[in-house]
Amino acid sequence: MTLTAKSNPRPAARKIRKSKFQADLAPAEDTMVRALKAELQLTSNSDFLSDALTLFRWAVSERKRGHRIVSESATGERKILVFPRLERVAPELDLPHVEMDWTDCEIESLFELSQRQPAEPTEALIRAMRR
Amino acid sequence: MAITIRRLEEFDGTNGFDCGDEPLNNYLSKHAWINQQKSSIGVTYIAADEAAPRSVLGYFTLATSGIPRDRLPKKHVRGLPPYDLPLILLARLAVDKRFAGRGLGRVLLAEAFSIALRVAGEVGCRCIVTDAYRDMVSWYAKFGFIPIEGGSDAGHQKMFLDIRTIRAAIGTDSAFN
Repeated sequence: MTLTAKSNPRPAARKIRKSKFQADLAPAEDTMVRALKAELQLTSNSDFLSDALTLFRWAVSERKRGHRIVSESATGERKILVFPRLERVAPELDLPHVEMDWTDCEIESLFELSQRQPAEPTEALIRAMRR
Repeated sequence: MAITIRRLEEFDGTNGFDCGDEPLNNYLSKHAWINQQKSSIGVTYIAADEAAPRSVLGYFTLATSGIPRDRLPKKHVRGLPPYDLPLILLARLAVDKRFAGRGLGRVLLAEAFSIALRVAGEVGCRCIVTDAYRDMVSWYAKFGFIPIEGGSDAGHQKMFLDIRTIRAAIGTDSAFN
């Protein structure tokens, strides 16, 4: 998939320049797009992309605010949307606070560690975090 | 197999999970959801196969914690701001026996670190601590955890990892650039 957008270098003669969005779709995805366009009575790929973008932007903003996206059936059965990419933008601020048991020696050791210059990352940590 | 890591949900299949350690199995099946949803004393994230999304392959639990300022060593606290020392606690981490030795623990740990970085970025936090089984100390040490001396529990070892070390691992800490 490629996305190309160029900015206009002459502000005085600025025009709204449209970006071109090109995507290589697998046959199954192509079929899905055609079916969705037909269901939604969309005639152009631009309109399809525009609507999809609007929906995606809304979903991202909701998860960013910590809201869950739920579908509810006529009988009240609820399903929560769990979409890994959306979960990346969800706030993690609601980690609860717990008390731990510490000996005085542990606290001394922990405090000393926390005041040191941080250790350099190990190779295993670097590999894990850059996977 | 495509693995996703997400928050534990109510109807996840936690009863089938077996990491070979009864307390860790028991925590996931009996306490993790209640602690997360009702008691708010830990958030559990699970690894699941996209093809069987309710089956738990591994999990970890995170919480925040802190050392009250009045318990910090007196000789050191002078001049420091009057706050507790905030921590992120990696409270549990376990992998189902069927998937042991395939690197899933490392993936879970990396995800826990990513979440810890986001939390630390939002609320301020200096380090991650965990209370590791003694036989897992070398595994955690591989990823940079340092033993905290002076514990009284023969079966566990508290360990420390500076948040800045994790930032440096992904190349975002200017101290190392």
